Amino acid sequence: MSLLRVRYSKGQFKIQQMVFIIIAIIILFGIVSVFFISVKFSSLRSDVEDLRKEAVLTQVRKMTGAPEFNWIMSDDCSSCVDLDKIFLLKDRNSYKGFWNDVSLLKVSRVYPLYDIGECTTQNYPRCNSVTLVNKGDFEAYESFVSLCRFDDTLKQTKCELGKVIMGFEGVE
Amino acid sequence: MEKIRKKKGQEEIVGFVLIVVIIAIAFVVFLGIRLRNPEPVQKESEILYQFIESSMEQTTDCVIRENGKNLALNELIRECHSFGNTCLNGENSCDVSIASLKGMIDASWKISPQDVYKGYEFKVNYYLNSSSEDDGEEIFSLIKGNCTSAYIGNSYFIPQFPGNIIVSGKICP
Repeated sequence: MSLLRVRYSKGQFKIQQMVFIIIAIIILFGIVSVFFISVKFSSLRSDVEDLRKEAVLTQVRKMTGAPEFNWIMSDDCSSCVDLDKIFLLKDRNSYKGFWNDVSLLKVSRVYPLYDIGECTTQNYPRCNSVTLVNKGDFEAYESFVSLCRFDDTLKQTKCELGKVIMGFEGVE
Repeated sequence: MEKIRKKKGQEEIVGFVLIVVIIAIAFVVFLGIRLRNPEPVQKESEILYQFIESSMEQTTDCVIRENGKNLALNELIRECHSFGNTCLNGENSCDVSIASLKGMIDASWKISPQDVYKGYEFKVNYYLNSSSEDDGEEIFSLIKGNCTSAYIGNSYFIPQFPGNIIVSGKICP
């Protein structure tokens, strides 16, 4: 039995060496790239989430421009809503089912707060919130607004910090 | 002859090690730059803009002139910057502005080391030229907690001829 002896030339050995080095470098760069991409994409996902939330907030804020909400006494107040108007809408039969797309529509006072929560004809305006729609089971988004009304004591417009809260069903 | 061959082999190993070391250093430098984050990163926040804009419409308890009206916060800040008048109840217009804004911030955002938001910075500055790089003239500022890392922020302009008053807010998670 004869042994077949393969002799590699020096050149072949060098090429092999070089191939191993190139493969090692490619693997190293691959690991670094995967790490970099994963870091980059994780922040991208949170950025997309933030952008979506901002878009929903803008939509909620647009609600304040609706004729049922907006404060017409001042031209230059885009953040103002008419609290009296909103309160009057509360138990109005003609507006039942008007906001069918939303599961929650509520206007709340943020500052200053009173002791009483929900507004009724007995406690208005010394109360904290007016709920127009509440169907339950929603994801809520809030937007800051100015709650304005004519104050009989001050004999002028009075605006206070508040929030419009809208809840949507099945928002992911 | 044998010695020369060994030396060549050693040189190649040194070369390989050198490449690995250079790549490792580049990787460490990259990670260092990536993770150090020397400047706090600001994210523009819609909710913060809405907060500042709405809070500027808040009617305060301050009346400056006899039979005058209760001023909105933006009017009171203008008054505080330009004239520094006192309200009819004896309070300083700047103090009322600070108290009103602080009350609204505290009512709107839960800020403490245990909460999601660890601190805030609200600055009210006057800028003669809004495009200028300088910090402007400080009217007042409200700072609580620590704002060292990333934060959400936004600013709101109040026209005040010949410049602008800029209310800028930062909230730090």
